[in-house]
Formats: sequence, C-alpha cells, structure tokens
Amino acid sequence: MRSIILLLLFLTTPAYAADTRPPIRFGLTAVVVTENLRFLDQWSHYLEQKVGRKVELVLRKSYREVMDLLDSGNIDFAWICGFPYVQSRDPESLRLLTVPVYRGAPRYHSYIIVPESSSHQRFSDLKGKIFAFSDPDSNSGFLYPLALMVELDETPESFFRQTFFTFNHAETVQAVSDQFADGGAVDSYIWEYLAIFRPEITEKTRIIDKSPSFGFPPIVSRLGVDPDTVELMKNTLEGMDEDATGKALLAQLKLDRFDQYPDSLFNGIRDIANRVKSVYSGFSALSN
Amino acid sequence: MALLNPKTWSLAIKLSLTITVVVTVVGFMIGSLMVWQDWSRFHEELGEKALLLSESVAITTPKAMLRKDYWSLYLSLKNMQSRKHEIMTAMILDAEGRVQAHLHPADNPMGLPFAPADNVERELFSRAMAARKPIVIGSGGFTRNGFQEGVVPLYSDQKYLGVVRVRLSVAQLYEKAKNSALIVLVLVLVFVIIGSVLGTLVSRRMVEPLAAITQGLEALGRGEITDFTPVPIKENDEIGRLSATYNQILAELAEKKMLEEEIAMSEKLIALGRITAGVAHEVNNPLAGLLNCIDTLREHPDDKQLIDRYLPVIDQGLHRIKDIVHNLLVGLKIEEGDEVEGIEHIDKLHDLIIAEIGDRDITVVWENNVDKQLQIPGKLEQIVFNLLKNAVEVLPDGGKLSFKMYLAGDYLNIEVSDDGPGIPANIRNQLFDPFFTTKPNGTGLGLWVVYRLTQNLEGIIEVQSEKGQGTSFHVAVPVKATRAA
Repeated sequence: MRSIILLLLFLTTPAYAADTRPPIRFGLTAVVVTENLRFLDQWSHYLEQKVGRKVELVLRKSYREVMDLLDSGNIDFAWICGFPYVQSRDPESLRLLTVPVYRGAPRYHSYIIVPESSSHQRFSDLKGKIFAFSDPDSNSGFLYPLALMVELDETPESFFRQTFFTFNHAETVQAVSDQFADGGAVDSYIWEYLAIFRPEITEKTRIIDKSPSFGFPPIVSRLGVDPDTVELMKNTLEGMDEDATGKALLAQLKLDRFDQYPDSLFNGIRDIANRVKSVYSGFSALSN
Repeated sequence: MALLNPKTWSLAIKLSLTITVVVTVVGFMIGSLMVWQDWSRFHEELGEKALLLSESVAITTPKAMLRKDYWSLYLSLKNMQSRKHEIMTAMILDAEGRVQAHLHPADNPMGLPFAPADNVERELFSRAMAARKPIVIGSGGFTRNGFQEGVVPLYSDQKYLGVVRVRLSVAQLYEKAKNSALIVLVLVLVFVIIGSVLGTLVSRRMVEPLAAITQGLEALGRGEITDFTPVPIKENDEIGRLSATYNQILAELAEKKMLEEEIAMSEKLIALGRITAGVAHEVNNPLAGLLNCIDTLREHPDDKQLIDRYLPVIDQGLHRIKDIVHNLLVGLKIEEGDEVEGIEHIDKLHDLIIAEIGDRDITVVWENNVDKQLQIPGKLEQIVFNLLKNAVEVLPDGGKLSFKMYLAGDYLNIEVSDDGPGIPANIRNQLFDPFFTTKPNGTGLGLWVVYRLTQNLEGIIEVQSEKGQGTSFHVAVPVKATRAA
C-alpha cells in the first residue's frame, strides 16, 4: 500500500518566488530506500539551495516507468539501475552523471537470500520453489538470478514453481522474511541498509549466494538537459561530502560520496546482460 | 434435626429465603440473557467486520490474480493486519482451491492446493469453496478460540476465479464479553443482596405480629396469661386485623382471669366465714349447757347427786369440742405428717369397722388386690376410716358395705360403697363443705377432712350416688412417689 501511495506522490518544496524557471525533475527508483519521506524532503531542499532552482523528486513504482519518463523528457535526472543503463538505446538518450561510492568503492552485489530457517544452501537448491524478483529491469534483483539459471540451463518457468516481482528490493527482503517466497534476489546495498534500520526483517533472511561486484546504480542525466544544469547538478552531488549538511545526508544514505567513474565500470553488467540475452532472446516478456 | 427440616423453620426465614431465591433466580436469568445477547451481538458484528474486510480485499484481487501479481495479493492480506482487528488467518484461493496468497505463507505455500488442518477446517474449506455469494461462516459457542470468517467469492466477467477468506478471532470480544459478563454478575449480585435484604425486612415486618401472636397463644396454652403485651398494629391488612382480634381476645381473657381470681378470693372468704360460723355454732352450743352445769354445781357444791348427774354431761360436751377442734386441726394443718406405712394398716381397719358395727346387721365385703409390699401415706388410713365410718352410719340394718382397693397405673384406687339411702341431688355439691351435715349429732367435718387429705396427697375423689340406690366414693392417689420412698 505504501508503495502505491508513494507512486502517486510528487514531492515538492516551496517554490522560489522570483524563480519562474520550471523545476528540475529528478527521478528516483527502488535502488534507494524511497520510503523515508523526511529524508527526501531534506535532500531535495539541499539540492535546491545548491542548484538555485526548485528540485522535484519523482517517484515511480518500476524502473521501467522511470526510464519511460526519461525517454519522454519528463524528468531531467534519474537514479537508475546499472542494467537499464547498459541497455542499448537508439539514439542514446542519457549520459552517466555520477556514481555513488559505497563502502569505499562504486560497487555492489546481488544477494540471493532465503528465509533464515530454510535448509537451502545454494541457488540450485531452490528448484521447484517460489522465488521473488525485485524488478524486471534490475541487475541485482533479476538479471543476476537469470544468469545463474542460464548456468544451470534452466528458465524461470522450468526452474521455479512460482515467481513474482515485488518491484522493490526492500519488499523482496520482506517476502523472503515472511516466508512468502522461498528465495529472492536483492541489491546488497538495500539489504545492508535494512540490516541497519530494520534488522528484524533481515535477521529472518540468510544470504546463500553473493554475486561478483557490479557497478553501483548510477545517476544519469537526460541528453536534452542543458550542459550548465548538468554540470551544476554533477558538482553539487559530487561536492556533498564537502559540507556538513551534505555529509549528514550521505550518512543517512549510508554512502561515502558521489564520484566520477568511466562507463567501463558497468562492463560486468553488460557481460551478463549479453549472456542472458543470447539464451533468452525474448526474455523481456518475463517482465509482463 | 429440627434445623434441617424446613417444615419447622420460622415463617420469617422461609419467606425471606423464598424472596431471596426468587430474586436470585430472576436476577441470574436476566443477567445471563443480557450476557448472551451481548455475546451474540458481538459475534454478529465481528462476522460483518470479517465480511467487510474480505470484500475490501476482493475489490483488487481479481485483477492481481489475472496478472499473477502474487506479491500484491499477499500485501493486500498483510496490510489488513496493521488495523485494529485480530486476524487469525486470511487467504486467497483460486477456483481449484490453490493458495494464491496466505497470511501465514510458511505453512501454506503459494501455488499449492490449500490443505485444511483437520476435519473442521475441511468442512469450512468446502463451504467456502461452495460459496457463490458473500457469506459469513463461524464457530458457535462461548469460547475464546472461536472465530468469524468472511467469505467472498471472486468473479471476473462472471467467471469464477476463487475466493477470499478472512477470519477474525473472537478472543478480543471474548475478553470484552467476559468483562461485561463480570459487570453484569456484580450488578446481579448487588441486586440480589439488596433484594434479599429488602425481602427479609419486609417479611420480618409482616411476620413480626404473627410471631408475637403465636408466642402469646403458646403462653396462653401453658396457662401463662399474666404478662400480656398487646401486638402493635401497623397496617389495616389481614395481619393487622388478626392482631387487633388477638389483642381483644387476650384483653378479655385477662379481664376474665382477674374476675375469676376475685371470685376465688371471695369464695375463700365465704368458706372462712362458714368455718368460723360453724366453729362458733358448734362450740357455742355445748358451751351454754356446760356453763349452766358449772353454775348449778357452784350453787350446790355439796349436792352429790348433781355432781354425778352433771359431770358426765360436762365431760361429753368438752369431748365434743375437743373432737371438733381436732378435726379442724386435721383439716387445716394437713401439711404435717408425711410418714408412710405398710398397706397392711388398711386391712387393720377391717377389724376396727367390724367393732364399730358391733351387733348391727351390716354385711362387710372386703377386697384388697394390692401387693403387700406397697408403702402408702399414713393419711390414707384416716381417709378410708372416715369413709367406712360414714357408710356404717348411714346404713340401715341389713345393709351392705363394700371396700375395694386396687392399683391402676400409678394410682392406688379405693372404692367404698354402700347400698344405703343415697345422697339427694340438691345437697350433693355441699357434701365436702365443712360443718355440713345431715346427721343429728354430726360435726360436718368428716368428709371435709377426707377431701382435704385427698387434695393434699394430690389425689382425686369422686362420689356417685343415686337416691335409694346407695353411694360410692372413689379415691385415687398417686403412689409413684411413695413407692420410691
């Protein structure tokens, strides 16, 4: 329910009386925990002060919806997953802006989790079980487990009895913790984040598989946004660790800072995306 | 034992107990009815709530089912839990009874057929699967484990998709109902106590005059009429009227008793007057002759012939006075002399009365049926002798005197009968009066002495007489005390 409420919610801050320019619209996906409205309010306020323009944070249920908003020009910036980022677009519509640094590196993992009481030790043990994916456009929550199935020469339909999407990493943890699903794939950053703020959920889950490290979900800009605004936003984000307010906000996100990295950071994701694609030519149907 | 027998209980106790029992029974009946109604209403409301919850889940369910959005189905069940209901379980099943979402997913895996835990659950499951419109199914009875379940079938374009079941526990309601039952119980108890106290007071107040009247009548039965206190009359109902009548009767009885005492006193005075007059008369008569004789002798002290003639007259007169005084003393001072003697002393009277008869033609029939060992009061001898002597005196020649003595129960019975002229009816009730006599030389003290002695021995004396048919005296005295001595 909460996610549905959030879905409909546009977070706004008081407009600057003299400023008649349209607000900068910033799309957010479930790569971060978007339930903390107070934090989002503080962050957008911080960005507004730095950028000197009204900043509107836009929330959507799925990655796909946010990607569509980018494509259609409805948002200027977005914090997206590495998987949609590495998808080939023709023509290219977005550009890498900056990458969060998490625990010293711009990297994260996919965790395959099972209920704490479960007897399953490996991903292959989950055959015939119920599996929770996070988002069809998520690297850690969908692409990585697909790659594991490719290795086992299976498809989701043949391998699992039932699968479903929660469209939210936190809810995938919830589904496994409630034993609604026998296993799930989540973003390691979100799982660790929940382990700090909602340990009662993560304590009921156990990690049975940790993926190799991937490039952390990046922040991208739409190609049509004017370069000054892009530069301003890039500098603002990358300079957050230089002032107290910014540091406090980063601390809340459990991130070190934002920094500039080359596009090759996401080659790992590109590799498994290509591998999976070569096996399941029509795999995008999986996302309904 | 008398305490255990309700028939002997006081009316006040029975009445207040009856009122208490009635108040208690009525109170508890009303109380349990209230509790039961409360419980039924709670149950019904809970059922409606369960149905409402099921229906709210059912609104979004068909779409999510068609999309196979199991997570949304699960969340729609899970999010109900945050509200104020105690949801025992909730589930969404498809048309084949497979679990689409269950509130307890660990035990009820999604995609597998729902497995009822026991026969009761199996029955409920088949009822839920058979439901084609929203229904409420539930457990009956007053238990904290009970529940109410809202069952809503799911349709999409008139195609049956499955069913939503939401089950609410009655545990909370049970506590609520228990609390209200407790309150009702306390109220009923207070009601019972107040009712019983009031009932007791009312019945006491009603029965009080009855108790007083009963006590008064019981005292009257024992012959105690002295301290009569009127019963206060509080109301003019049946009891009030009874009290008034009782007061009136008791007052009249008290007055009558006073009158009787006055009469008895005046009778005593009359008797005393008669005795005094008798003594005066009986003593005065010979005294005049005696004084005359003494005067004559004083005038002629040397007349030997006069002395010889008058001395016996004086002697006779003085003896008569002595006899009268003696008999009076016997009659009046009978308290003295409780000595006992053997029964054989009575038999000695036989010889004495034969001597008294002398050469007169009187037959004596003597019958003694009493054990020789019996001890009798000495006074009895005088009673018997007086009766025998009396009979001899009235019998004409050729008469017959019968004496009969026998024991009947604790009483020694003596019958002295003659076939003499009998006692005329008009003097029969004066028979035992002092100085009443029909004999020319009698003192009128013989039967009076008999009567007084018999009374003193706590005996009874009866006389049967018919003119010309003879007379029979019957004396009965208790011998129990005497035997012991």
